[in-house]
Amino acid sequence: MDVLSIDIFKAMMRNALMHVKLREDEFSKLDAVIGDGDHGTAIVTALSCVMDPLEKGTEFKSMLNDMGFAVMLQTSGSTSTLLGAFFLGMSDYSAGISLDAGAMKAMFAGGLENVRKQTKAQKGDKTMMDALIPAVEAMQASTSQDIKELLVAAAEAALQGAQSTVQMKANFGRARNYGEQSIGYADSGATSWSCMFASFAEVV
Amino acid sequence: MSATKIKFINNPEQITSELLEGYVMAYKDKVALAGENIVVRATPKSEDKVAIVTLGGSGHEPALSGFVGEGMLDCSVVGDIFAAPGAQRLFQALQLFKREAGILLVVLNHSGDVMSANMACQLAERMGIKVKQLLTHDDISAGIGAPDEDRRGLAGCVPLFKIIGAAAEEGKSLDELLEIGERFSQKVATLAVAMRSCTHPQNNGIITDLPEGIMEIGMGQHGEGGGGRQPLVSADDTAAQMVDLLLQQLKPAAGDKMLLIINGVGATTHMELSIIYRKACLVLEEKGFEVCEGRIQEILTVQEQAGFQMIIARLDADHIDYLKNKRADAPYWVTIGK
Repeated sequence: MDVLSIDIFKAMMRNALMHVKLREDEFSKLDAVIGDGDHGTAIVTALSCVMDPLEKGTEFKSMLNDMGFAVMLQTSGSTSTLLGAFFLGMSDYSAGISLDAGAMKAMFAGGLENVRKQTKAQKGDKTMMDALIPAVEAMQASTSQDIKELLVAAAEAALQGAQSTVQMKANFGRARNYGEQSIGYADSGATSWSCMFASFAEVV
Repeated sequence: MSATKIKFINNPEQITSELLEGYVMAYKDKVALAGENIVVRATPKSEDKVAIVTLGGSGHEPALSGFVGEGMLDCSVVGDIFAAPGAQRLFQALQLFKREAGILLVVLNHSGDVMSANMACQLAERMGIKVKQLLTHDDISAGIGAPDEDRRGLAGCVPLFKIIGAAAEEGKSLDELLEIGERFSQKVATLAVAMRSCTHPQNNGIITDLPEGIMEIGMGQHGEGGGGRQPLVSADDTAAQMVDLLLQQLKPAAGDKMLLIINGVGATTHMELSIIYRKACLVLEEKGFEVCEGRIQEILTVQEQAGFQMIIARLDADHIDYLKNKRADAPYWVTIGK
């Protein structure tokens, strides 16, 4: 596939919401190990907020901007802040109604760049960044001009990243206080973001 | 026992809206509501000057809305009891104060407030609203020299409002205000002590139960434990111990000019606060510092918690001028100046 159309992007987001809903309890249970146990609810709520502007969207830039505003204004908490920042950053680096491989890579890179402005978490800290950073990096590193191949590369890297958090000790935010206790469980945010990237690749 | 039996409240869900309505009725010449839980001045400051906005939960009256008024804040965005107001309401307030000169948003370092502020600012910037944040972190209970991000914002924000409020009135630019405020922030330190904890007015839950005869130095603004539990000692010994800790953080030089505020947090009388002030002031003077500005007042309270916050700041010459000589006319802070 040569281009990512706005209609395919909408299908990717709908698929992400569906899969995240199916695994909502799993994300909350993972979060309960080192947090307040609400990540499943938080990610489902946040993704649900973006559906209205998504369906109404007619071109990438304004649609992604409206999705970012919706999630930030309708919910609060770190999950929605980071997801909102991701869409706003994607909006800054997208235009039109279809994106070729290079334009799609730029859009995802823009999303990551804006998320990095909101959190100091790095790869290895046992956060959602352990899925997001490898996903976007794998996409950037690929020389493929095929949309599907790029999204599959991102999904595989996100999954590996999420699985790698099982062995990690939480090193960020309140979870840091759990120290060694956090080892042995995957991070809830990395797992849910990996689920989103898998859903994106599945649709295309 | 239900909350209604120990407090003069009606529906617990309506505490915040009802208290704000009563407040603006009482001080209608000075303050007004510009939207749900958004307190503004009755007479707005001219648009060519930087607007000063802050945010925080209710339950701490008169903070923070008590300091909206000429020479201090332009707007206070209020959350529910002990809770951040959320990005949506704050974004609404930032839209109201959009201006060429910009907005200085003062954020007390509490995770909910910080997150609301970051989200609202991100959206505001995309709408072409010029806004910069000033984070306050005066609490020293995280340890002497602890990094700023680990230190909470306590009542030290109130003299900060006076200083930057006066400077904004004078026409200082957003960057100048940030510098003036940041410099004060680095030189103000607050320590709280509690000897009876507070309840949450909506569910009557007791937040940290302190046993009889025990006090806790370092208690947070919502009764969160701070680690420093010890047997209750006399007013003089308590005051001296707290001054000593605050000076370890501030590291003043002999001859420094100091601000000293004793803030009652709800259930400690002005009689006791004055006795504490006396000793704290004497200790500072014995050590060779000049206390050039003082105050004994309930500026930021925590329901029926007994205890106080001691605020000490090393003042620069411009800070002294803004505090003492410039006019302020907020419902809970008046300075007769020019």
